[in-house]
Amino acid sequence: MSSNDSMRVEGRNARSEQNPRRRVVVTGAGMVTPLGGNCRETFDKAVNGVSGIDYVKSFETAGLPCRIGGEVDDRCLEDFPDSGIQGIEKYSSRGLKLMRAATVEAARQARLEELPDRRRIGVSLGYHAENPSVSEMMLLHRFYDGNGHWDMKSLKERGSYPCFSFFRRKPDVATSLLSVFFDCRGSNLTVVSACAAGAQAIGEAFRMIREGRTDAMIAGGCEAPLNFAGFVGFALIRALSEKYAAPSKASRPFDRKRNGFVMAEGAGALILEELGCARARNAPILGEILGYGASADAYRITDVHPKGEGAVLAIRRALEDASLAPEDIQYINAHGTSTVQNDISETVAIKRVFGERAGKIPVSSNKSMIGHAIAAAGAIESILTLMGIQNGIILPTINHELRDPKCDLDYVPNEARVQRHRIAMSNSFGFGGQNACLCIGEYDGS
Amino acid sequence: MKDRCAEGLSSMDDAIVVTGTGMVCSLGQSPSEVWDALLAGKTGIHPIRSFDARGFGCRAAAQAHALSPAPSGIQPKLARMMDKHLPMLLLAATNAHSMCGISQSTVPPGQIGFFAGMGMVDYEIEDLILAVLKSSDPTGSLDYDLFFADGYQEIYPLWPLAMLNNVAFCQVAINLDIRGENAVFSPHADSGVRAVAEGVKTLLADKARVVLAGGVSEKASPSSMARGHHFGILNVSAAPGRASLCRPFSAERTGTIPGEGSGVVLMERASSAAARQAVPLAAISGFGSACEREAESFAPTAAAIASAMTAALDRAAVKPSEVGAVIAHGDGTLAGDKNEIEAICRVFSDTVESIGVFSSKGALGHMLAGSPAVDLILAIEMLKRGEIPPTLGAHPLDSNARFRVASDRPLPLGPKRILINSSSCEGQCASLLVEAAP
Repeated sequence: MSSNDSMRVEGRNARSEQNPRRRVVVTGAGMVTPLGGNCRETFDKAVNGVSGIDYVKSFETAGLPCRIGGEVDDRCLEDFPDSGIQGIEKYSSRGLKLMRAATVEAARQARLEELPDRRRIGVSLGYHAENPSVSEMMLLHRFYDGNGHWDMKSLKERGSYPCFSFFRRKPDVATSLLSVFFDCRGSNLTVVSACAAGAQAIGEAFRMIREGRTDAMIAGGCEAPLNFAGFVGFALIRALSEKYAAPSKASRPFDRKRNGFVMAEGAGALILEELGCARARNAPILGEILGYGASADAYRITDVHPKGEGAVLAIRRALEDASLAPEDIQYINAHGTSTVQNDISETVAIKRVFGERAGKIPVSSNKSMIGHAIAAAGAIESILTLMGIQNGIILPTINHELRDPKCDLDYVPNEARVQRHRIAMSNSFGFGGQNACLCIGEYDGS
Repeated sequence: MKDRCAEGLSSMDDAIVVTGTGMVCSLGQSPSEVWDALLAGKTGIHPIRSFDARGFGCRAAAQAHALSPAPSGIQPKLARMMDKHLPMLLLAATNAHSMCGISQSTVPPGQIGFFAGMGMVDYEIEDLILAVLKSSDPTGSLDYDLFFADGYQEIYPLWPLAMLNNVAFCQVAINLDIRGENAVFSPHADSGVRAVAEGVKTLLADKARVVLAGGVSEKASPSSMARGHHFGILNVSAAPGRASLCRPFSAERTGTIPGEGSGVVLMERASSAAARQAVPLAAISGFGSACEREAESFAPTAAAIASAMTAALDRAAVKPSEVGAVIAHGDGTLAGDKNEIEAICRVFSDTVESIGVFSSKGALGHMLAGSPAVDLILAIEMLKRGEIPPTLGAHPLDSNARFRVASDRPLPLGPKRILINSSSCEGQCASLLVEAAP
């Protein structure tokens, strides 16, 4: 096919039967979450309704109105020595370290190293990079007089400022280093759309493969916000859960007593690959990305749209992109943050799209067990959605004890459900009003 | 490095065209204003006055001025939180949006896409210093009891939002009622090209009727200056006549200078523009990207830059000899320019001595994610006027730069196609091909 021919094909309606689109499958998945250091451990605990939320240990929280979060056990990271990449450690933020661990699992499963043309493998990462530490801020403040005057000369002479924090603060450093770790020389992009970033990174990667721009992508998201600067701001705006009988009870999406989200850290990595490429090398095919939709609320920076306008649009776009009808969706992995606003508007959005059938579709939130890992959330939840399809299990929404009359769907309360399902969707709605939705399906072998 | 599979960004029977532009930078807020300044040899680079930069080796920047800190219709407390990101992106996007003449009756909000490269956001010391000082114990450590008893009240309640790159983007979507497909990329120049390319793909897939795409730089601040210093990309020369200069491709280049600004273009299918009787200003016909970083400098390798350029040409089925000019990334850094010179020479091969090259950074500084869309808008001016403007500070040229760079007078533009390059500091690079509207 010449470039011209290909160009015209791309210019046509993508759903043309004469020119079927390339299909995008998942050949590897990896994650590190507050529930475990890999996919299986996380999924198994989620099946059993285990909470990964506890008191935060990584920094002092005394005096804070919220003192809990979902932390990843550092032992999950110890299995990955920096052999061969000495010197890179100092550039690596905690988020990148989490992502690297997740990607090692995913790449191993996909046998990513087999792909011969590394220029046809890219990286698409949702990540907001590392926040400045208190010690860094304190140090900088000593060289600032509060009236616009900096004593940078003294700061430099003192030589104590950790200059590598500048690298850790930049999100694209993580994306670039991932490409180094896994020898991916193709497209390399960093998505920063808050809580929708992980899903958007997967969606963008999906489209790049489907449109023939590349053959395989590492796609996903990571976040490590459990530090003073990342945590205290959300505590100050009262977005975090403050009322809880125990840490494990705090994240309670769609429950009447929900009162804020619980912040978490983690990473989720998928290896997305063009179907023909995966089949040619007999790679494991875990499932298929069927469609992706995005939208903006264009409503308010600090509030979600009460009627879920943006969410409705993203869900409908994902269905259309996947050539699916609402009746085809058998499970919805909700954004479900456990905030009063989000859970109502998401419920409204689901009802608007799915009509009378909304109440019959199982809807659950993994955040009830994992917490909200911001840019990592969409990636982790996409993988758990896929694993649910593979295992015929719908994960529960734990802590769902008191029904909220405004949240009246089937939230799979407290116990996982054995239920075969083939097609599901995963919602991610970002702070500020960016929304993303992914349709995920069982690979049918064709 | 050449990609095997043609991407096909557009076909000439229904090309993706630009029908609206908006920009803000240190030399002005309209293409003609900036063009006139470039031809007059003016520079937007001046000593920094917005904060005390005496402690930095580089004390100059091309800062954008005459911006309303609190655009109308936006709560002052939100505007303060979004700082300079908001007025720059909002002005560029609003101008592009209004120029193309769309209204809610002609294009529903859900059919307007929005893609942007967003420069880094940094916390301002002033936002936290009082809280920290009030909460410090005698050893200089943070005392949380003091912090929550009193100190925290000194922090502006919406401060955490200031740390999110996407907030200004979302505010622009609110102001212009944009609800369609969207994504934000960050933080370097390649993300600005990525935004335009994703916008084009969205149009080709019929997922939007029109798309706004572009980017915004980071603000010149102590944090951004410190970051630039530690990356080793800034011009810290104190030599007479060399400080405060960005000299793309010059034999005497010593580093780049930060720039502030934003560029946004509005794109749609040519058939859509024709139906609305909108005037197409140019067509976007190719895109390519690659990632491979040089071990020492972290800049993209020459091979990666050449790969991105070649992919953009291949995807448009255009030969190098059919290109009239290159708007280079040309940031004035030793390694970055060296690799880009090599890449341009490699791609244009036998015809390199006839190709005209321009870099805006000599006059406008390095606007990072804001650069590509501003360069795209300047490319439209070049196509319209048939000229390649001078590159401030480029001469005497690096001896390896065998292409043509205008010094004081513009060069004539040959074929009406322009390749636009962009690079990050981390190995990513991307190229766009723009040509005269069909």
